[in-house]
Amino acid sequence: MDLHITDIEDPDINYSNEPANIPLHRRPSISIRAKIAISFSLFFILSFTVTGWSYWILTRLENKIEFLEIADNYMVEIQQARRFEKNYLLYSTDLEDALGHLKTADEILTQNSEKIETILGRDHFATMVSYMTKYHGQLVLLGRAENDAEKELVVPKLRQFGSQMVSFAGEFVEKEQNSATRMFLLAKRVPLYFMGALFVLMVFVFTFLTRQLLLTLNRFMDYTIRIGEGDFSPITPARKYRDEFTKLAEAFNHMIKELDHKHNVLLESHKLRAIGTLVAGVAHELNNPLNNTLLTASMLTEDFHTLSDDEKIEMVNDVIGETERAQRVVKNLLDFAREGETEMTPLEIDKIVEDSTRLVVNQVKFAKVDLKLDCETNLPKIHGDEQKLKQVFVNLILNAVDVLPPGGEIRIHVKKDKSRGYVLVTVTDNGPGIPEHIQGRIFEPFFTTKSQAKGTGLGLSVSRGIIKKIGGYIHLTSSPGQGTTFTVSLPATESPSEIMSK
Amino acid sequence: MTKPLEVLLLDDEPIVGRRLKPALDKIGCRVEVFQSPTEAAARIDEKEFDIVVTDIRMEEMDGIQVLEHVQKTWPRTKVIMITGYAKVDLAREAMGKGVFDFIAKPFKPADLRRIIFRAAEALGSPIDSSLLNDEPVAQ
Ligand SMILES: Nc1ncnc2c1ncn2[C@@H]1O[C@H](COP(=O)(O)OP(=O)(O)O)[C@@H](O)[C@H]1O
Ligand SMILES: [Mg+2]
Repeated sequence: MDLHITDIEDPDINYSNEPANIPLHRRPSISIRAKIAISFSLFFILSFTVTGWSYWILTRLENKIEFLEIADNYMVEIQQARRFEKNYLLYSTDLEDALGHLKTADEILTQNSEKIETILGRDHFATMVSYMTKYHGQLVLLGRAENDAEKELVVPKLRQFGSQMVSFAGEFVEKEQNSATRMFLLAKRVPLYFMGALFVLMVFVFTFLTRQLLLTLNRFMDYTIRIGEGDFSPITPARKYRDEFTKLAEAFNHMIKELDHKHNVLLESHKLRAIGTLVAGVAHELNNPLNNTLLTASMLTEDFHTLSDDEKIEMVNDVIGETERAQRVVKNLLDFAREGETEMTPLEIDKIVEDSTRLVVNQVKFAKVDLKLDCETNLPKIHGDEQKLKQVFVNLILNAVDVLPPGGEIRIHVKKDKSRGYVLVTVTDNGPGIPEHIQGRIFEPFFTTKSQAKGTGLGLSVSRGIIKKIGGYIHLTSSPGQGTTFTVSLPATESPSEIMSK
Repeated sequence: MTKPLEVLLLDDEPIVGRRLKPALDKIGCRVEVFQSPTEAAARIDEKEFDIVVTDIRMEEMDGIQVLEHVQKTWPRTKVIMITGYAKVDLAREAMGKGVFDFIAKPFKPADLRRIIFRAAEALGSPIDSSLLNDEPVAQ
């Protein structure tokens, strides 16, 4: 027990080398673990990008605001300088005030040169400084002017440089203000965008993963149903890649193989029981030809000298005929009992059914029931294992014989189901029928309503397994008191015209 | 020789009748052979046989029914059953109903003759036992 458990938990357990599993294994591998890892990485990358970007934008915004403060101070100073310049010209106040403000402006620029440079760029900064220097130069020239005439010479340039200096700075401040506003708006919206993207990604990953898991789980559920119904064909790849479910599929295939093996053992044991039943009948069937042979041979010896040659020949022919009859009886049983692998061959279904009825002819006689076989002509062939199919029909007939009182009837019809390419064999009895509440159970292995000595409960379960294996199906219609009909549908391999043309 | 034993032989296998008729003729029986139980029953209605030999299992009517039919009409008649298959319950039923004896297939003609001999004794018209010499004729 312990050994078994460790066996199952052994991670090295590997069925991938089994032949049924080779197609499963021959696919690229994308494990579920990898899918989850990829999804998480996507989340991480998205969050990382958004965080990084927000950080960057906020830093830039911070710089801009700082710059705007500096620029504002600078603007105030140069505007003051210009106001004092005008006052000087108009009212001849002190020019020193203008120079003083300009100096402060210059200090602001030099102190914050780096910051301003990063925002404006080196060229613009240089232009800015040069405007200020030029204005400063003119201002100094103005201060040195002795009289009004000299002043008049300086004034145009002074005005020009002054206004250039102010408007240049003003333009920049305005531009930066606008850009800061835009950036601010963006920074406010980024979390919203991020939420949106996250939501979409989550929905996508969620549906993708659950769909993958659920679809695969559903597929495996279908497999178990299929296996439960006795279809033991291995699982084949349904997707283009493999993952953890592949291991499950491989384990399933291993289980299917084992089940198939067990099922065959069951089949064999059920067959042995059927043979046991049939042998009793066949023994009786053999008694007649044996008796005829013994009587004939005895009389031949007894009357050897008195019999005419014709009579002797007739008796010897009787012996031959009866021996052949015995041989046929034995051969039919031996065909049924022969051990061997499943052999799928094209078969004539009417012959199979006929042989089956011959196998049970004695059981039918003992029970004093009437068995009639009615075959359509020109039936298409079917594909299957002769012995196993006989086992199915023998079982269906014996089941009917078991429930019929003397005088009961069994009708077997073999006919085409043209529209669907199937051949139908119906076994109908007018027995007591099967109560509805057990109709669902009679195909279960070991379900029987018979005594221990009579029933195994394997007949119908084994029969269904056999029929499923060749792609057919078996079902019943029954109502208590009205009898029972079992219908076996088998896929036809050829159309009737193909047979006709042979 | 006394009056011959009247025997009706019923078996649905034709060869049985063909071989047993001469075999029983030899010991002084007058044998009528039937394959169909209904025809045999009709004949039984017409004539009293000393001995009826019938197969127990046939299609239309089984040996037991034939036995009952005989006993109803001719209580004196001895009935011998041929059984193919040792069906104990069937045999017991028949014994209870007063069948004279059983013989199981396959059997030799001499086996049946021995039973008929005993039946003839029971009927009070014994057969000459020398006729029972069933050893094969010496070469
Ligand atoms: N023709 C039928 N009429 C009524 N009941 C049936 C018939 N065939 C099968 N059954 C029911 O189905 C059960 C299962 O049948 P089967 O699997 O052949 O096992 P078994 O014959 O050994 O009992 C039987 O015990 C019986 O109750
Ligand atoms: Mg059964």
